[in-house]
Amino acid sequence: MPNKLISMQEAVAKYTWDGMMYAHGAALPVGSDSIAFGREMVRQGRKNLHVISNCCTQQLNLLCAAGAVDKIEIGFSGLEVYGFANGLRRAVENGKTILEDYSNLTLPLRLLAGGMNWPFCPTISSYGSDQQWRSAFHPDEYPATSKIPEITDPFTGRTCGALSPLKPDVAVIHVTMADIHGNAIMLGTEWSRYELSRAAKKVVLQADLIVDTACMRQFPNLVRIPGIVVDAVVYWPMGVWPQCSTGLYDSDEEHMFYMNKMLKTEEGYEEYKRIYVDGYNTIEEYLELIGEEKIAKLKNTTTAHLMDPYRKWIKSDEEIEELMEGR
Amino acid sequence: MDYTRQEMMAIATGREIKDGEMAIFGVGLSMLAGYFAKRNHAPNIRDLTEGGVYGAFPVGGLPWGIECNRISSNAVSFTNAIDALGFLVASGRCDVGIIGAAQVDKYGNVNTTGLWADPANSRYLPPKVRLNGSGGANEIACGCKRFIIMATHEKRRFVEKVDYISSPGYLTGGNARDRYNFPGGGPSVIITSLGILRPDPVTREFILTEYFPFSSVEEIKENTGWNLKVSPEVRVTAEPTPEELENLRAVDVTGALRKKS
Repeated sequence: MPNKLISMQEAVAKYTWDGMMYAHGAALPVGSDSIAFGREMVRQGRKNLHVISNCCTQQLNLLCAAGAVDKIEIGFSGLEVYGFANGLRRAVENGKTILEDYSNLTLPLRLLAGGMNWPFCPTISSYGSDQQWRSAFHPDEYPATSKIPEITDPFTGRTCGALSPLKPDVAVIHVTMADIHGNAIMLGTEWSRYELSRAAKKVVLQADLIVDTACMRQFPNLVRIPGIVVDAVVYWPMGVWPQCSTGLYDSDEEHMFYMNKMLKTEEGYEEYKRIYVDGYNTIEEYLELIGEEKIAKLKNTTTAHLMDPYRKWIKSDEEIEELMEGR
Repeated sequence: MDYTRQEMMAIATGREIKDGEMAIFGVGLSMLAGYFAKRNHAPNIRDLTEGGVYGAFPVGGLPWGIECNRISSNAVSFTNAIDALGFLVASGRCDVGIIGAAQVDKYGNVNTTGLWADPANSRYLPPKVRLNGSGGANEIACGCKRFIIMATHEKRRFVEKVDYISSPGYLTGGNARDRYNFPGGGPSVIITSLGILRPDPVTREFILTEYFPFSSVEEIKENTGWNLKVSPEVRVTAEPTPEELENLRAVDVTGALRKKS
C-alpha cells in the first residue's frame, strides 16, 4: 500500500475547496477532533462550506466565527460544560449560517445509510418532534415533509421516520495513531468516526502519532479505520488542542474558555486568528505557541496508561521526516 | 442542615433511580445526580453516557464532557454513538435517562434547541437565541422506558408552550404520544430547583406533588408559566440525609453544586 503521508498545507489545498460538503471527525464536543486541520482551512480562506458535524467542537466554532460556513447539519452544537459555542451561535443567530438540527443518533444513522448506500434509514427518534416538523433547509414547509418524511413499516404497518443518507465530499478524522498507509487506532470513544470513515467520498486522517504498521498487526481488532478507506494521513502532534486526546493529553481548560470568549465577537475572532491561526507555519512553531510548560502539564493525564501497549512502535519526528521525504 | 438548592435537586433526582436499572446520564448536573445514586443506594445500576464510555467513574471533578479524560480514565469499554444511543437507548432497552431543559411545558415537552422571536410563525426563521440542539436527549425521550427532566424553576423556563420540541414529552397530552410508536414511555417526573412535578395518569399534564423544604406551593406557582395544578396530596420533600450529602459531595469533588444560587 502506498505511503499516504502528506503535509497539513498540502492536505488542505488538495482535499478541501469552497462550497464543498465537509465533515470533521470527532469524539463528541470537547474530545478528539481534527482541530488543527480546521485552523489550516481558515488560514487558506475556505468559504461557503456545508459542514456535517455530529458534535460541533472548537473546529466548527472557529470555522463559523471565520464566516466560512453556509450550512450545517448537526446533532449537538455546544461545548458541553464549556458552554454554548459562541462563534457558531453568532453565525446562526445573524442568519449567515443555516443550521439543520438532527440528534446525536440520527446524524450517525444518516452516515451509516450513506456508507451502506441505502436509500434511507428508518428512525424512531428525531421523529414526532420539531426535529421532524421544522426544517431550516425547507423553511416554508410546516410541518416539514422533506426533512424526515413519515413512512409505513411494510411489515407491521406502523409509522416511523425516514432519514436521508449522507455522503460528505471529504471527512477529516482525528485519530490517536496511524501508520503511513492510513490504518488507524482511536483511543477513547470513537463516537461516530467509524461510520463517517465509510460514508465520506474521501477520508483524510489527522494523527497525533505515526506508528509502525507492526503495531496494527499486533492489534488488528482495534484498527476501526483501515487504510483501504483512507486517502491521506497528516501528522500533527497536539492537533486536538485545546481539546483532549484520550491517552495523550487533557483539555487546556484556560484556552477552551479563552478561545470561546474570543470567538464571540468579530474583533475577538480577528485577534484570535492573528495569534492562533496565522501565528505559525510549522509544527515546531505551533507547539511553541502552546508552550512547553503547558504541553507538559496537559500530557500529565490520568489516561496515560491507555498508551502503554503502543509506545514501542511510535515513530520519532526524524523518522517521520524521512518518511515524508521518501514518498 | 446546610445544603444548596442544586444539591437538593441532584439528590431528589438520584432518588428516582433504582438499583439494577440501566441508566443513561447526560453531562453536568444529570451526571452528578446519576453517579450520586450509584454511590448512595444503587451500586448495581448499569450506567452509561451517550459518549459510549462504559463502566467509568469520574476522577478529578465534574467531567467537561461525556468523553473527556475525567470520565475516560477507568472505563471498561469505549464504543460509539450508534451503540450507546441506538442499541441501548433508542431500541427501548434502557430503563431510565436524565435530561436537562431550557424550556419545558405542562406536558413535559423539552426545548434545548433555541428561542425564537415569534415561535408561532409557521415559516422557519433563524433563532433569536441558539441553544445546543438535542444531542442524545431526543433518543432518551423517545427510547428510555421513562425519563427524568431536570430544570431550574423559573417562569421563562416553565412555559405554556415550548418554542421548539427538541425532545418529545407527552406532546399535546393524553395519549398523543401513541401515534408515534415510540418504544419509550415518556417523562415520569420533572425535578426542579424548587420541587417535584409528576404527570396526571390520564391527561398527562404535570402537576405539583412535592415542594422542597426551602420552598412552598405559592413560590412554585408564582414561578410557573402555566396555571399549575396542585396535587391534593402535595407534601414537603424529605431533606437530604447526612449520608446522602456525603455521597453527593464525594462525586461533586470540585463543588459545582455547592455554589449558592
